[in-house]
Amino acid sequence: MEWAWLIPVFSFAAVPLIILFGKYLPGKGSPLAILAIAGGFALFCFVFIGWLGASPDTEGCSTSDYTGTLTCEYERTWFQAGLPGLSSDVDERIHLNWGILIDPLTLVMLGLITFVALMVQVYSLGYMHGDSRFSWYYAFHALFIAAMLTLALADNFLLLYVAWELVGLCSYLLIGFWFERPAAREAAKKAFIVTRIGDVGLLIGILLIWREVGSFSMTAAFEAVHSGVISQGMATVVALLLFAGAAGKSAQFPLHVWLPDAMEGPTPVSALIHAATMVAAGVYLVARVYPIFEASGDALMVVAVIGLITSLGAATIALVSTDLKRILAFSTISHLGLMMLSLGAFGYTAAIFHLLAHGFSKALLFLGAGSVMHSTDELDIRKMGGLRKVMPLTALLFSIGALSLGGIPILAGFWSKDEILVAVNDHLPPVFIVLTLLTAFLSALYMARAMFAVFFGELRPEHEHVHDAPPTMAITMFLLGILALGFGLISLDWPGPYDGIGTFLFFEEPEAFHFTVWLGVLSTVLAVIAFVLGYLIYARKTISIESIRGRLSWPVSLAENKYYIDELYQFVIDRVVLTLAAFIGFFDRAVVNDVAVNGPANLVRHLGVTLRLHVTGHVYSYALAMTLGAIVLALVWWMQSAS
Amino acid sequence: MTPLVYFQLLSAALFVIGLYGVMARRSAVLIIMSIELMLNAVNINLIAAASHLEGIGGFVNFDGQIIAIFVITIAAAELGLAIAIILRMHRNRGTVDVDEMNLMKW
Repeated sequence: MEWAWLIPVFSFAAVPLIILFGKYLPGKGSPLAILAIAGGFALFCFVFIGWLGASPDTEGCSTSDYTGTLTCEYERTWFQAGLPGLSSDVDERIHLNWGILIDPLTLVMLGLITFVALMVQVYSLGYMHGDSRFSWYYAFHALFIAAMLTLALADNFLLLYVAWELVGLCSYLLIGFWFERPAAREAAKKAFIVTRIGDVGLLIGILLIWREVGSFSMTAAFEAVHSGVISQGMATVVALLLFAGAAGKSAQFPLHVWLPDAMEGPTPVSALIHAATMVAAGVYLVARVYPIFEASGDALMVVAVIGLITSLGAATIALVSTDLKRILAFSTISHLGLMMLSLGAFGYTAAIFHLLAHGFSKALLFLGAGSVMHSTDELDIRKMGGLRKVMPLTALLFSIGALSLGGIPILAGFWSKDEILVAVNDHLPPVFIVLTLLTAFLSALYMARAMFAVFFGELRPEHEHVHDAPPTMAITMFLLGILALGFGLISLDWPGPYDGIGTFLFFEEPEAFHFTVWLGVLSTVLAVIAFVLGYLIYARKTISIESIRGRLSWPVSLAENKYYIDELYQFVIDRVVLTLAAFIGFFDRAVVNDVAVNGPANLVRHLGVTLRLHVTGHVYSYALAMTLGAIVLALVWWMQSAS
Repeated sequence: MTPLVYFQLLSAALFVIGLYGVMARRSAVLIIMSIELMLNAVNINLIAAASHLEGIGGFVNFDGQIIAIFVITIAAAELGLAIAIILRMHRNRGTVDVDEMNLMKW
């Protein structure tokens, strides 16, 4: 298990190799990246087995006082800073460690990242085939995976922050991968800047922890929260700052605006980074530092409210979007909001379980959308229909993903969403459960819309001769489809030693899978109604879209314009930020530059210009000056001696 | 005994003539000669003052004479140097007019 740090190292090592030698390698270096992540996945399996066999007696392992789970931590000194103290018994140097922390949360994240990444990389072989920057694509991909794995493994905030920024960089590079397109460039910049706003909060939060605890170690921070070194008020401040970073990465309101635009990147990138892994990093972060949030209490309420607003708002936008990838993007935002809501409702297990179920399902959906796009070059769902006749495999797998996210029983999304509903029902006021059920209903409805509008109904003549996905793409979708289909079953209490995910991945207390009958039935009924409604509206067209639109014109246009949040930001930037910037720029030019910097220089130059005039070159003027000087000196002497 | 003030008037007149020469002449040679006038004015002043220091008549203090001899010596050395510089000036520029010597003016 102490070799788990090698998991990201494989991919890190692959990056320079692909960049330098990609041109000469077979497959332009792509096998190297796939091999690296496959090695990571294999090593993850070994680590997982090792962890299962570990006990609190194993070296480096103990049952954590703060999370209640078996936690194994291995760390080394990263570097030391400062001079040793004057007295030899006190070492005043700053010791910074880097290390790995393995607990169930890390393990599930590692599993999700390595598996989805492997699938997406194999899929990309087909999808990116013939791209002019094929090697670069795999290099960025490998770098992203390495950074993301480091993020999941990190046992201290500093390493986490480094990895956090690295995934942000890779996200920027991959969104703007087709930088010939202006939209891709703009989207990349937007993603980078918006997430950076949250990252500032994260950095300040980490520095606050350093100030309070004197260490970047997560365990030390939890200890400080537990023992009261960090007061409850301070814990709230820190938790909210960390949540700002999480909200930026996980596209939570009001920092969600970058994720829909990020769909300008290649679709496999959207599947890996903007659906399954990187955007889940925010949820992971909140779960990772859950003891701080729990100590605060108020911060959890903020998380829940933000999560609810995000999930409900994004679900309504997803319902009216016409671009297939954007529907999926808003669906991602909505489900990330659900995970945050669940964390805010003490549904730790439910949130992480939903993270996994959503990761697999959404990656599948994106790969399916990519397959559609690859074959038809079309993303507008209004221009698609009946594709199941020409792309049966993609249609089947996409439908599995859609049904899973929509919450149809037996599929993965049903179980995780149900867990969230139970947590929300148990711990939050009734208004939350009502709105969450509404979100769940909308979630099923927009998934039904995407699925039926694309794959059912009339086949368009221009799509009659398109082909289904090539083998590399089909196989990966198939494997993800199996997971989307059956993954939820791991939550159940099976006969035998396995007692459900709640006994493996939990916070403080192991919990059995709890299934509240009325909630399960209600959510199932809602999901089924939504899918039937979707079928009638978008496949059979029994209910006219125009009539609904006519009756709900005002809310629909509000949602279609994404609640004008982009416009609001643009307005604020134009009017407030740019005005302020113009003023500061003016201040810089007029005061800092002209007065403070150029002022003394100009003064000296003018003095020089004026004073050099006395050097006339005429001997008589020098003689006159000497004479006058002598007379003045004589006068001074005379007056002094007279007095 | 001639009153001291006559010597001082002579000395002042010589000095002012020398000063006028330094400022008004353009030939370097004439300037040097004017400087010599000023130096000699100072010498007269010194010796006269020394001879009138203690009462009227015989010298009791030779400071003035000693300084005058120093001035003459240094003036001779200075003159040698000045003549050498003026010769170089004439050789290089073909003139000894000091108004032409303005190469180092700004």
